[in-house]
Amino acid sequence: MSSRQVVKRAKYKTTVKDPGTPGVLKLTQDKFVFKPNDPTSKTKLDVEFRFIQGHKVTKEGSKKPAWLNLIHSQGSYIFELETFADLHVCRELVGVALNKQVPGEATKVISEEQLSPAEMALKIKLLQEDSKLQRLHKELVASGKLTESEFWATKKKMLDQDESRKLKQQIGFKNSLIFDTKPMSDGRINQVKFQLTPEIKYQIFALKPAVHQAFLNFVPRKMNEVDFWNKYFKAEYLHSTKNAVAAAAEAAEDEDLAVFLKDDEILEIEARKKVRRVDPTLDMEADQGDDYTHLPDHGIFRDGSKDISEAQNSLYKRTLLQDLNRQGAVVLEGKTLDMEMEHPRTVAEILARRKQECDGVVDEERQNRISKMTLIDDLQAQDNHPYAPLCIKDPRDYFDFQQANAVKTLDDSQTGMEQMKCSLGSEEAYGSLRASISKIKTTGLRDPLFSPDVALKVLNGLTKNISSPKYHLGRSSQGSVLDILPNTTKETLLDHWVCSQELLRHFWSSYPITTQNLVNKTRRLKESISQIYSKLEDIKVSAESDLRHHVSLVVHPMQQALNAALLHYEADIRKRNARGQKPNGYV
Amino acid sequence: MKFEIEDITVYFPYDNIYPEQYSYMVELKRALDAKGHCLLEMPTGTGKTIALLSLITSYVLSKPHSPLKLLYCTRTVHEMEKTLAELRLLHDYQLRHLGPAAKILALGLSSRKNLCVNPRVLAAENRDSVDAGCRKLTASWVRAVAAENPGVPTCEFFEQYERAGSSAVLPPGVYTLQDLRVYGKEKGWCPYYLARHMVQFANVVVYSYQYLLDPKVAGIISKEMQKESVVVFDEAHNIDNVCIEALSVSVRRQTIEGARRNLNRMRQEIDKFKATDAGRLRAEYNRLVEGLALRGDLPATDAWLANPALPDDILKEAVPGNIRRAEHFIHVLRRLVQYLEGRLDTENVEKESPVSFVVSILNHAGIDQKALKFCYDRLHSLMMTLEITDTDEFLHIQTICDFATLVGTYARGFSIIIEPFDERMPHIPDPVLQLCCHDASLAIKPVFERFQSVVITSGTLSPIDLYPRLLNFNPVVSRSFTMSLTRDCICPMVLTRGSDQLPVSTKFDMRSDLGVVRNYGRLLLEMASVVPDGIVCFFVSYSYMDGIVNTWNENGILKEIMQHKLVFIETQDVVETTLALDNYRKACDCGRGAIFFSVARGKVAEGIDFDRHYGRLVIMFGVPFQYTLSKILLARLEYLRDTFQIKEGDFLTFDALRQAAQCVGRVIRSKADYGMMIFADKRYSRHDKRSKLPSWILSHLHDAHLNLSTDMALHIAREFLRKMAQPYDKTGGTGRKTLLSQEDLEKMAVSGLDDMMY
Repeated sequence: MSSRQVVKRAKYKTTVKDPGTPGVLKLTQDKFVFKPNDPTSKTKLDVEFRFIQGHKVTKEGSKKPAWLNLIHSQGSYIFELETFADLHVCRELVGVALNKQVPGEATKVISEEQLSPAEMALKIKLLQEDSKLQRLHKELVASGKLTESEFWATKKKMLDQDESRKLKQQIGFKNSLIFDTKPMSDGRINQVKFQLTPEIKYQIFALKPAVHQAFLNFVPRKMNEVDFWNKYFKAEYLHSTKNAVAAAAEAAEDEDLAVFLKDDEILEIEARKKVRRVDPTLDMEADQGDDYTHLPDHGIFRDGSKDISEAQNSLYKRTLLQDLNRQGAVVLEGKTLDMEMEHPRTVAEILARRKQECDGVVDEERQNRISKMTLIDDLQAQDNHPYAPLCIKDPRDYFDFQQANAVKTLDDSQTGMEQMKCSLGSEEAYGSLRASISKIKTTGLRDPLFSPDVALKVLNGLTKNISSPKYHLGRSSQGSVLDILPNTTKETLLDHWVCSQELLRHFWSSYPITTQNLVNKTRRLKESISQIYSKLEDIKVSAESDLRHHVSLVVHPMQQALNAALLHYEADIRKRNARGQKPNGYV
Repeated sequence: MKFEIEDITVYFPYDNIYPEQYSYMVELKRALDAKGHCLLEMPTGTGKTIALLSLITSYVLSKPHSPLKLLYCTRTVHEMEKTLAELRLLHDYQLRHLGPAAKILALGLSSRKNLCVNPRVLAAENRDSVDAGCRKLTASWVRAVAAENPGVPTCEFFEQYERAGSSAVLPPGVYTLQDLRVYGKEKGWCPYYLARHMVQFANVVVYSYQYLLDPKVAGIISKEMQKESVVVFDEAHNIDNVCIEALSVSVRRQTIEGARRNLNRMRQEIDKFKATDAGRLRAEYNRLVEGLALRGDLPATDAWLANPALPDDILKEAVPGNIRRAEHFIHVLRRLVQYLEGRLDTENVEKESPVSFVVSILNHAGIDQKALKFCYDRLHSLMMTLEITDTDEFLHIQTICDFATLVGTYARGFSIIIEPFDERMPHIPDPVLQLCCHDASLAIKPVFERFQSVVITSGTLSPIDLYPRLLNFNPVVSRSFTMSLTRDCICPMVLTRGSDQLPVSTKFDMRSDLGVVRNYGRLLLEMASVVPDGIVCFFVSYSYMDGIVNTWNENGILKEIMQHKLVFIETQDVVETTLALDNYRKACDCGRGAIFFSVARGKVAEGIDFDRHYGRLVIMFGVPFQYTLSKILLARLEYLRDTFQIKEGDFLTFDALRQAAQCVGRVIRSKADYGMMIFADKRYSRHDKRSKLPSWILSHLHDAHLNLSTDMALHIAREFLRKMAQPYDKTGGTGRKTLLSQEDLEKMAVSGLDDMMY
C-alpha cells in the first residue's frame, strides 16, 4: 500500500451508461494518466490531482461493478476496474493523493508557521464564531503589525477551553504498587484476606511479567481465575514470611505455585536486553570481573552482616530492594492502556501484544548521550535563547514610571507647569536631596509644606474633571457621552479602543527586552501605536464643533495610555544606548 | 580558546576556563618539565579531566622532536568512556585550529568481554568464560589443526585480522570501545587484538588501573610501553587499595578441591601426550633447562596471564631440577595442595610471615623456596605444552601457583592469615588461607621507575602528604587546589541529632537503635519533600542499607517517602544496578524526582556522576569505616604502624573520610551546578574527623552548620535552594574572577599571575 504508483486495467466511461473505453489507468501521487488500448482513440487523459475535488467508489458486495468516480468542478471521470481488489488499491492511492493536497494549500496560506490541521481548524472556528475577534485579527495580523503566533499567544484561554475537552490527561501509576496488595488481617480469625480490584490486577501484570505470562497460559485452560489468584496470593504470603526454606518446599510440591515463587526469568531477559542500550557512562556491567574496586578484601565480602545466605535456596529468595527497583521502573514506563477495559483476559492479551512493539534499536542515541553528559556547559559561550531567562526587574524603574503616569493625568489642567523628569540618575537625586537639605537649614521648614497656589491648581483640576460630564449632561443620569455621538464615530472609537488595548498588552508584556526578537517586536508595536494615536487625533479634530469637547473627553484617556507606551519606548532606547551591554542576558 | 603557558600553546576546547584549571595546568607543566612525578588534588567538578588532557596533548604538540605517550588510567569502564568522549571533543578542536598536524591516535583498551564481536564467544556470561571461549578459537594449536581440518571452528574476525597482516591498522582518531567494535565489524577484524596491537603506536591509551598495576596483566599489555610516557592515575584516592589487591591471594577449601581436580586432568593429558607426542614433552624439558624467563616470541593468542611477581623479581635462570619433568611438577603441586589443605584444618586464627611459611613448606612437603618461585611459570609452560584452551576451568590451580610464587618471592610486606571460620557464623566451618599484601608501594614501584612522569590526581587526596609515604615515591610537585566558586553553590552540613534531639550515628553499638533508624528516616522524608529532582543517599554497607530499608518499610516511613519521589537502590547485581541508575536518570529528567540508595564503598560511589539535577542533595548516613574486625585490616594497620609510623586510628579515619568525601563530591560538576551535602553522623562534628575532609568542602562548612538537628537542616536547605534559584553573574560578581575568558588570560600574561586572586 505504500507504493507510489499504481497501474491497473480499466475502462473509462463518459457517463454511467457508457459501455466504456478499455485501456490502462496509471495513478501516481500527483496525477493520473489513462491510455486506451486503441492508439487511435481520442479519449486519452492526463489530469493532475490538484483539479480533483473528491472521489467515490461503489461498495463491494453490491450488484454494481467496481467503479472509481473522480469528481472535478465540471463533472467527473468514471473508471470501471476489473476487480474490487484493484479498486481498493486505486482508492487508497487516490485518498493519499487528495489528502496530500490539503495541507499544501494550508501551508501556502500560512507560510511562516507550521500548524497542525486540528489547531488550524480550531482557530478558524473561533474566528468565525466571534466577528469582533475576526475584525481584530484582520486589522492586526493581515496588516503585519503582529504575527500569527503573537496574536494567539494572548488568546490561549480560548484555545485551551476547547482543547481541555479533547485531551483527557492520563493518570499514571501510583508509587505504592507493592503496598497495595498487602494482606489485611483482623487478628482474631486465623485468616488473611487480600483485596483484589481490576486495577490491582493490572498493576500486578505490569510489575511481574511472569505472572502475566502464567495468567495467559493457565486461565482458563488449566484453572479458573479464582484458583489462579488464590495460588498467587499464597505465594505472596510465603514471600512475606521471608522463609526461603518453606518456599522451596512448597515449590517442590506444587509446580504451578513454583511459577510465582521463582525469580522472574522474563524480567531477567528483559534486563539483559536493556543493559545493552544503557548510557555508557552508567554501564557498570561492563566492569564486572575487570577490576578490584568491586572486591574489597579480595572477594571475601565482610561488612559485619550476620545474614546467613544458603546457596541452594537463593533461587526462592526475593528482597524488598528488588521490588523497589522494579516498581520505580514500572511507574516510569507509565500506563499504556485505558482502564475502561474491564475484562482481565483482554487486558492481559493487549499488554502482551504491546510489549513486543516497544523494542527499538537506539545505538546512536546512546552515543549522543555520552557526549552530552561529558560537556561542561559552564565553560561554553552563552548562546542567545529565544526565551527570556528568569530575572528580577529593578523596582525603581517600576515605581518611577508609575509616578510619571500619575503626573500625566493632570497635564491638560497644568498648562505651563514645569516638566518633571521621569527617571533620575543617582547623582541628580543626591544633588536634589542636598539642595533641599541645605535650603531647609538656611530658611527652616515653612509653615505650609506646599505652596497654596499649587494646591489650588491640583484641586481645581481634579474637581473639573470629575464634574464636567455631569454638568453638561444634566438631563439624564442614564445617559452616556457616547450616545450623543453619531453612530459612525462611535463605532470607530470602540474599534480603536479594542485595537489599542490589544497592542498595549503586547507592548508591556515585551519588557524587559532580552532578545533581538523582542527588540523588533517593540519597534513594530511602537509604530502601530503611533498610527492609532494619529488617528485618534484626527477624530478629535474632525468632530463637529458642538461635539468636539465630548469626543475629546472620550479620546483623552486612550491617548494618555498610548503616550505612556511611546514615552517608555523612547526612554528605554536612550537607556540602552547609554549603558551598553547589560548583565544577565539583557539585549 | 587558545592561550600560552610559558612556552606552550595550550588548546582548550571551551570558550572559558576556570582559574583552577589554569593553575592545574601550570603545576602539571612544571612536573612534565622536571620529568618527575606529581600529586595534584583538584576539587570535584572543576574540569580536571579536560584540563589534564588539554595540557598534555598541547605539550606534545609543542615539542614534536620529543614525543610523549599518554597512558590515562581510570578505575572503571564507564569512566573510560567519559574520558574518551572528552578527548574526542578536544581532538576535534585541535584539528580545527591546527589542521592535519594535530592528528593523533587514541583508543581505549579493555577486556575481551567488552571488545569482542564474535557472537559465539560473547554468549558466555563472565569475563573468564569469554577469555576461554576466545582461546578455543584462536590458540595457535587450534588454528594449526583447523588448517588441515576445515571442520574445526575458528574465529573469522581473528583470521581475517591475521590475513590482513601489517595493513591491519587504525587510522588516526579517537576510538571508544564502541567505535572499536563498530570498526572491527566493518573491516571484519578482531577489535581486541587490533587494539592490543595498536596500543604500541597510539599517542593516547586509556585503560584501567590493573593494566599497569597488576603484574599478571601489566606483564602482557604494558611491558613494551616506552619510557617517555606520562602516566595519569585519575581518581587515584583509592590507589593504595588497588595496589594491595593486585598482590593478594585467597585460598579456600573449594580452591583446594578444584586444584586437585585440575591436577588429575593435567595428569591425564600428560599420559596422553606421552603416548602420542613424546617429542613435545622433551622439547619442553630442554627449554626449561635454559630458563623460563627468556622465552619470547609467543603468539599473542597463546599468552596467558603473566607471572604474579613484579618484573625485577622474576628469576632468569634455569628451572630447578625437581620440577623440570612434567610428572615431577605435578607431584610437587600435589604435595603443595595437600600441605595447604592440612593448614586449613586449624582451630585457631594463625598469622605467619612468608619466611616462616616457606620454612614450614620445606619441612613438611619437601618443596624448597626456589621451586616455589617457579611454580607459576612452570604451570604456564605445562598448560601451553598440553594445549589447554579452556582456561576458565583451571583457575583454581592457577590461584595455588599464584600463591606459591608470591610467597616464595617476597619476604617483606606480606603476611599469611588463616581463619578457621567467619566470625559471623562461628558454628559453620569455612576456612580461608590468605596471602595479604600490606605494602602498596610494591605494585606501583615499577610504574614510578619505568615511566618518566606519573600524575596522581583526584578530588579527595587529603591529607596529601600521606600518599608519598604509602606509595614510596618523591613527587616534584605536590599541590592541593581550593575552589573559587561564583556563588556558594555547595552547602555541607553535619547533622548530629534528629528532631527529637536524640543523637544519630552508625557507630556499631548505636546502629540497630530504633531511634536512630527512625531519625534517619525522618531526615530523608523531610528532605524529599523540600529538595527537587534527585537525592542520593549513601550507606556504610550493603547489609546496613538492606536492614534500614526493610525497617523503614515496616515502620511505614518508606511509603511516605515514596509519595514524594521514586526510589531506586543499588544492589550487588550489576545488571539491576545499571538499570536502576538508568531509570533514576529518567525519573529526574521527566521531573518525577527520585531517590537513589547506594553504598559508600560500592560501585556507584566510584565513577557515577550525579551532577546537575541528578543530585541536588547527598546524604551520607554514617561514617564509612572499614570492617574493623577484619584480620586482614588489623594486619595492615600493624604494618603501617611499624613501617610508616601511621597510627591505626589515623589511618582508619583517613580511609573513612576519603570515602565520604568521594560520595558527596558526586553532585558538583561545574560552578553553575549546585548541591547540598549532609553528613549524618554525630562523629563528623569532631575535629579529628572533620579536618580530614578536603579543603574545598571544609572552606564551605560553616561553624553554624556543624551540630544540626533535622529541623535546622531543613531550614538551611530551604534557604539554600531559594538562594540558588536567583540569577547571578557567572563571571564572578564580587571582584574575584571565577571564570576566565580569552581576554582575561591575555591580561594575566602581561601583568603576571599575581592578578589571579581566588
